[in-house]
Amino acid sequence: MKCRKYLSMIKAGIMEDMQFRGAIIMTFFGNLLYLLLAFFLWKAIFESSDSPVINGMTFSDTIIYLVFAAALFNFMEMWTVWNMGRDIQDGKIVVDLLMPCGYRRLRLFRGLGEVIVNFFTTLLPTAIIVYFISGKAIHLGLNILWFLISVFFSFFINYYIEFIVGTIIMYTESIWGIDIMKEVVVGVLSGAMIPLAFFPEGFKQIALALPFHAIIDSPMTLLLHPEYGLTDVVNILAMQVLWFVVMGILSDVFFKFSLRRITVNGG
Amino acid sequence: METSDMSMKTASKRRGLRYYFNIYFRIIAQDIKSKLSYRSDFIISLIGMILTDAVEILSFWLVFQNFPSVKGWNFYEMLFLYGFTLVASTPAQCMFDNNWNLRLVVYSGDFIKYCFRPVNLFFYFMSEIFDIKGVGKLFVGLSCIVYSWNKLALPVNFKSLVLLIFGFVFASLIVIAILNLASSACFFIMNSFFVLSLSNTLRGYARYPITIFSGALKFVFTFIAPIAFMAYYPSMAVLRPDNVPVLTWFTPVFGIVFFYISYKVWMKGALSYNGTGN
Repeated sequence: MKCRKYLSMIKAGIMEDMQFRGAIIMTFFGNLLYLLLAFFLWKAIFESSDSPVINGMTFSDTIIYLVFAAALFNFMEMWTVWNMGRDIQDGKIVVDLLMPCGYRRLRLFRGLGEVIVNFFTTLLPTAIIVYFISGKAIHLGLNILWFLISVFFSFFINYYIEFIVGTIIMYTESIWGIDIMKEVVVGVLSGAMIPLAFFPEGFKQIALALPFHAIIDSPMTLLLHPEYGLTDVVNILAMQVLWFVVMGILSDVFFKFSLRRITVNGG
Repeated sequence: METSDMSMKTASKRRGLRYYFNIYFRIIAQDIKSKLSYRSDFIISLIGMILTDAVEILSFWLVFQNFPSVKGWNFYEMLFLYGFTLVASTPAQCMFDNNWNLRLVVYSGDFIKYCFRPVNLFFYFMSEIFDIKGVGKLFVGLSCIVYSWNKLALPVNFKSLVLLIFGFVFASLIVIAILNLASSACFFIMNSFFVLSLSNTLRGYARYPITIFSGALKFVFTFIAPIAFMAYYPSMAVLRPDNVPVLTWFTPVFGIVFFYISYKVWMKGALSYNGTGN
C-alpha cells in the first residue's frame, strides 16, 4: 500500500518528464557541447605544462572528472530549491504539509521520476560516450561498483543540501538569489568547476572538511582510482555516509524548526 | 493613461529618439520602484550575483596556481578578458533581462498585451524590466580590468581608453544579440529554455582566448556564434597593441550586424505570435 503510493508519484514524474522529449535530447547535446569546450580548454592548459600528469591527474582523468561532474549534476537535478520556493511563495506548501508522509519525502518522490529519466538519458549515455572517446581510459572493475554506491549517497547529500537551501527561502523569500549562491558554492566546493586535486593545499583541506566534496569529488575519486585499496574505499564511503546522516538530520531539524515561523501568503 | 495613449497614437507613426528616451525612463522608474519594495530579495540577489563572479575569478586563480600560463596567456590577461565580458554583459543584464521571461509570457498568452501598445513591440517589452543588479557586474568587471591593467603595466593613454570604450559598446551588442536570438526561440519551438541555457554556457566560454580552440570551433565562434567578439577581439586592441588581429577592427560591423539580425528575428517571431488559448 505504502509502496504503491510512492511508485505512482515516481511514475507521474517520469510521464511528466517524457512530455519534454525535445528538451531531454537538447540537454544531452548541451552536455556534448560542454564536453567539447572543456576538452579544448583543458587541452590548452595541459599543453602549457611540462609534465603530462599534474597533481596526480592526467588530461583524460581531468576531462572524465569534469564531464561526469556536469552529467552528475544534470542527473541529480530535481529543481528542489525552485519547487520549494514556489510552494512557499504561493502557499501550496500548506496543502503538502497536511499530507501524511512528510514534506521532505514528498518532494523527494515527486522528483525521483525525473531523476530516473535523467539517469537513462544523460548519465548513462554520457558515461558510454566518455568511455569510448577517452580511449577506454575508465577502468572497468570494482571501481564501477564503488562509484555507483557513492553516487547513491551523493544524490541524497545533494538533495538534503538543496532542501536546506529551500528552507532558507522561508526566511528570505528570494529564490533566484539564494539558488545562484547555492550553485556557485556547490559548484566550486564539490570540485565540479575545477577538480579538487588542482586546489592549493589550504583550499583543498577546507573543501574536504565541508560536505560538498562528497557530491562530486568522492564518486569521481573512486571511479578514477581503481588502484585504491579497500581501506581507501571504505574511508571515502564512510565519509559520505557520515555526511549523509549529518545532512539528513540537519535538513529535517532545520525544516521543522522553520515551520514554526512560516508565514504563507494567503495562509 | 488611456487618453495619453490615444494622443500618442494619433501623434505620428515615426517617433523621435527623445520620445523613446522619455518613455523608457518612465517605464523603468516604475520597475525599479516595485523592485525596491522587495528590498531583501534585491540585496540577496545582488550578493548572489557578485559572489558568482567572485567565485569565477577564484577558479581562474586556482587554475593558474598550477599553470603559470595557458597558451601564452597569463593570469592577469585572462582576468582582463573576464572583466571585459562582465562589462560587456552589463547592458544585456540591465536592459534586456526581460528576455528571460519571454518564454513564460508567450506560453501563458500574456504576451498579447505587448502587441496592443502604440510603441515598438521590442522596445516596450525590453523596457518593462530594468535589472539594477547588473550594475554589480559592471563594478566587478571594471575592478578586474583596472587591477589587471595595473599589474600588466599597460600604458594608460587616450587611444587605448577610446578603443576600450568602443570595444565595450560593440561587444555588448553581441551579448544582447545572442540573448535576443536565444529568447526568440520560444516563438518558434516549444519548451525553449534549453536554448537560453545553452547560450549561457556558450557565453561562459567567451572569456577564454579564441586561440585555445581548434579550427572549426574558431570559425564557429567568430562567424556563427560570435562569442569571440564578446571579449577576445576587442580586448586585443588594448592587451596586444603591437599584434592586433585584423578581425578586431571588424568588431563594430559584427556588433551592429548581429544585433540587427537578432532584432529582426525577434520581431518576426513576435509578429507571427497569435496567442495561446482564446
